[in-house]
Amino acid sequence: MSGNHLLEIKNLKIDVRVTKKRRLSIVDTASLIIEPGQIIGLIGESGSGKTMLCRSLVGTLGRRGAYIASGQLKFDGIDLISAKQSVWNEIRGKRIGYVPQSALAGPNPVMTIGAQLAEAILQDENFPKADLEKRSLELLNIVQIRRPETVLKQYQHELSGGMKQRVMIACAIAQQPQLIVADEPTTGLDVTVQAEIMELLKQIRKDFNTSIILVSHDLPLINEICDDTVVMHAGTTVEKIPSKSIKASKHPYTLALYNSRIDLVVPKGQLKTINGQPPSVGSWPEGCRFSERCDFVKDKCRVKQDLPLITIGTSHETSCLRYDEIAR
Amino acid sequence: MLKNQIARTILGRLGRALSVGFWVMVISFAIMRIIPGDPASARLGGVEAEAIAQLRKQLNLDGSIFQQFSRYVTDLLHGNLGISLQTGRTVIDIIGSTLPLTIYLILFSTFFAVILSIPIGTSIAWSGKAPIVYTFRGITAVILATPNFFIAMVGILIFTVRVNWSPVFGYEPEFPQNLKYLWLPVVVNTLIMTSVVSRVIFSSVIETKEEEFVETGIIRGVGRRRFFWFYILKPSMAPTVVLLSYMMGTMLGATVILETIFTLPGIGREMVNAVLTSDYPVVQGILLIFGVITVFLSFVGDVIAYLLDRRVKI
Repeated sequence: MSGNHLLEIKNLKIDVRVTKKRRLSIVDTASLIIEPGQIIGLIGESGSGKTMLCRSLVGTLGRRGAYIASGQLKFDGIDLISAKQSVWNEIRGKRIGYVPQSALAGPNPVMTIGAQLAEAILQDENFPKADLEKRSLELLNIVQIRRPETVLKQYQHELSGGMKQRVMIACAIAQQPQLIVADEPTTGLDVTVQAEIMELLKQIRKDFNTSIILVSHDLPLINEICDDTVVMHAGTTVEKIPSKSIKASKHPYTLALYNSRIDLVVPKGQLKTINGQPPSVGSWPEGCRFSERCDFVKDKCRVKQDLPLITIGTSHETSCLRYDEIAR
Repeated sequence: MLKNQIARTILGRLGRALSVGFWVMVISFAIMRIIPGDPASARLGGVEAEAIAQLRKQLNLDGSIFQQFSRYVTDLLHGNLGISLQTGRTVIDIIGSTLPLTIYLILFSTFFAVILSIPIGTSIAWSGKAPIVYTFRGITAVILATPNFFIAMVGILIFTVRVNWSPVFGYEPEFPQNLKYLWLPVVVNTLIMTSVVSRVIFSSVIETKEEEFVETGIIRGVGRRRFFWFYILKPSMAPTVVLLSYMMGTMLGATVILETIFTLPGIGREMVNAVLTSDYPVVQGILLIFGVITVFLSFVGDVIAYLLDRRVKI
């Protein structure tokens, strides 16, 4: 593969220190490739390692006692695994913007929104201080905040959830980064605000050719705005599939996720669920980790083995052993 | 609109401080009147009624309670807190000569405690290494569990008896000379205050460190120094400031012991003497001053905490 990808994650393994000697893998064999201007949806149940994968992109795994154990992680040709502080200084906030998960607690509570925007804007040391307010207002306008002059002087607890989230996005795009990592940016927000924020992300991609990783457990949402969807289960990426053809998935887990969506337009009668619980970290089954919950499981799925992603179509890769036998 | 809100909040807090101040005044007025027995006759014993009436007049104990109170308030507004029964000096004069020492003692120890606590508390919380944290917790717990007079006595034993760096007693009120007498009590007090304050800073930084917005700061690429001030220290400071203002208030009372051990003529010792000799006007005046200072400090502490962190309700 050439080095032209914006982001290339290959067989990434993230471990966490439980005690001095004990280690647990929370992500392993995660693979993901992003091209400039692409929106990738990252989907999976809680605990599948989505957030940890995102944190590895901004180098904050250490805060949670986690670290990258093996694999490859390259951003625009830069190796992020061995990146030193000076490298991160050039990347964080400048080339990768991050919209955190619990944005409801995202902005700093002891700084005004204006001060935080200024902080994001002044990551560019050459930015003329005289234009600071103009640029701040401009950013707040991009994220469609009403009365931006007032909001600049407010604190986060004076804003609504949707406004906080917009502020976080405004901060993340201040330097027009090449990549925005949005970790469940709309969790906890009501549906209309969700739709607006998704629209906003799409617009940002269009205007600045920004790549976006959108993490969610909301499949319809991801389907709506992402080019490709990457499905994670129990610490591995099990399938990569163009969002349009999600129905033609060749992985039982993706299909199960798809079938368990709540469809309000055409009620389907009983709501389908996925059998069992997601396997917990540390007790992943050998072989295919979905085997214990899968309707299509055969003995060969349970054998201890590596399950690499197999390319089976245009930007369609799956790790299911029985992909060719699976039909809807 | 925003400026107004700050002003409104602070004015509201000031209003409450003033009303508490008023009740402090009422209580200090009431104390002499609700203690059993008549202070005047108790003092003079079995002398003739005329002398007792004279003293009652001097103590503002004649007439109805409302007349007494209005005279008390009028006197107070004129800066008149009465005359000591023991020495004949005015109470204002007594407070004026003894309060500065106590204030020096409290201000110096608070200053040093803050200077020491911030780096100790934050760096230990930031490193988070178990052996360091346990050592820190252990040492501060021992200091806190030890009575301050014991620490003071150990201090005297070492610095006065063994090496003779500190005078045994005496005091000179002028600024640079007084340090000679004050440094040891200040060190003792600082040690105790630092243990409390650094523990509070420690736990508050530990809490802040886990917050989501701290990660946001790292990811935004905020520079090291800025990160430390605005993402770690500032969000952790509010509880510390409130605690400090409260501690400084209670320390007025706590210095009684230190002043007694170091034979320093401060207001705490004056208060004890006044109580022992039933010098009612002095007790009343000092109580009032203690109350007013405490109310004032907690007002200032709350306002600073509010300005640091607008989420604080004051």
